[in-house]
Amino acid sequence: MAVVGLKLGLLYAFIMWFDGRILSWSCLMRPIVLAPLSGLVMGDIGTGILMGAALESVYMGISSIGGATPADAPLAAIITTAFAVLTDAGMETAIALSIPIGTVMASFNSLCLPIWAGVAPALTKMIVKGEVKKFEISAHLLTIAAVLVPGLACAAAVAFGVEGLESLLAVMPGWVMTGLGAAGGMMMAIGFAILTSMIWSKEVGYFFFFGYVLVRYLGMDTLAIAILGAIVAATVFLSEKRTIDLNNKLEKMAAGGMTKEEEEFF
Amino acid sequence: MEKKVLTNEEKKLLRKVQLRSHMCFLQGNMLNMQATGVTYSLIPVIEEIYKDDPEGKKEAYARSQQFFNTHAVPFSFLMGLNWAMEKEHNEKNTIDGKTIESVKAALMGPTAGMFDSLFFNCLRVIAGGVGIGLCAQRNPLGILLFILIYGVPQSVLKFIFVKMGYVYGTSFIDTVFNSGLMNAFTKAASILGITMVGAMTAQMVNVPLNIVLTMGETSLNIADVINSIFPGLLGVLLLFGFAALIKKGVRPTILVVCTLAAGLIGALIGIF
Repeated sequence: MAVVGLKLGLLYAFIMWFDGRILSWSCLMRPIVLAPLSGLVMGDIGTGILMGAALESVYMGISSIGGATPADAPLAAIITTAFAVLTDAGMETAIALSIPIGTVMASFNSLCLPIWAGVAPALTKMIVKGEVKKFEISAHLLTIAAVLVPGLACAAAVAFGVEGLESLLAVMPGWVMTGLGAAGGMMMAIGFAILTSMIWSKEVGYFFFFGYVLVRYLGMDTLAIAILGAIVAATVFLSEKRTIDLNNKLEKMAAGGMTKEEEEFF
Repeated sequence: MEKKVLTNEEKKLLRKVQLRSHMCFLQGNMLNMQATGVTYSLIPVIEEIYKDDPEGKKEAYARSQQFFNTHAVPFSFLMGLNWAMEKEHNEKNTIDGKTIESVKAALMGPTAGMFDSLFFNCLRVIAGGVGIGLCAQRNPLGILLFILIYGVPQSVLKFIFVKMGYVYGTSFIDTVFNSGLMNAFTKAASILGITMVGAMTAQMVNVPLNIVLTMGETSLNIADVINSIFPGLLGVLLLFGFAALIKKGVRPTILVVCTLAAGLIGALIGIF
């Protein structure tokens, strides 16, 4: 089991790296591709394909827009396929297990998120200093680390069963998970604060609350807000344009009019 | 707009940005999301544009490290546009750093929304439908079709988008600048940018306060009280607090570490 687990863990890490970070398709990590691949690793591609079809239907509706994944579909695909191939649990049982497995894995992954956020400022420092090569290498190495950690969790889950991983999470005091979750929500504010302080000026700053209120009170989505924002921006642009045109005209008149008057005068 | 012909130099850079902009989730994190991907995509461009201007290069790299988050496909378009803006900023000084920030901030939200629904909710579902049908009959062709419908077009579009962003971006900036309307454009872009920042803050920033005061029979949830004054007030205060600290020169690293500590300590003493 340990060897198969390691193989599957590496498969997971590789796909998450190649498809998630290098191609950025989020396509090869879908259960319909990943389940047959893990079937192939275990020498039973037929079951893998069938599991892929079933799991893709299960995970089709579970979206991960905005970064918060309710259940880790790729990990669930691998582990569930492993269960179906390696145990005599049968495919139906394995599929029924997939959602709880995905949820456990997703909460394990979110444990690591603050680490990757914590090292981000170090990368900024590097590139601003002009250390391009160092920045590129660090970015790649950190990315590989970020896929290897859940890869190891995947290997452990196959080798020791998901119950083992679950009990590991249970040993951890509850406040650690809560605290990391709270810190994650607040860390977003740092990124936006930097952005705000870059764009902010007295003349336009208050429009921050325009966007804020449209989301909080009216629950609009970003495209609708962008359209409203663009209408406001276009109105401001056109009125500024009118002022500029008028200024130009006045200046021309002041310059041109003078000569005309002078001509008439003489 | 006249058709722009790219020089050999530009073509070489274009190829590099096209390939590099695939790696938009490089070191993706909750602090600045795809910023590392942005920097990584623009390194060849920034190195070329600011060859003889170390100070400008520093600023350009700092700009590229700002919070950035969109769908992977329009990411490439915005990289092309960003390239055009940096070039115009350096060569003709037609566009200032603030405007570059605003344009990026204004476009990331709506492009993410559009392409999430286009790819994730539409193309993926179509590809899934085709693939599942075949795979359920043990036909491996289903896997291949899924990749061909959902994966490959993303790369094709990304290649086209970088060029589009660069070419149209350059001629757009030139047109606006030549008509003497750059200041008006900058203001308009800032308005749209800061509006979107406000919207994204409302969507993503969250201070999950969880204090319940119990007085006799009634219990009072502090978070509800604060939210009834102004929804998400704590998040907004936090953001402007951070912004003030950053203006004072506090480094983001310190803020990240403090936030992490605050989250853990807060959870330990039970306020989250």
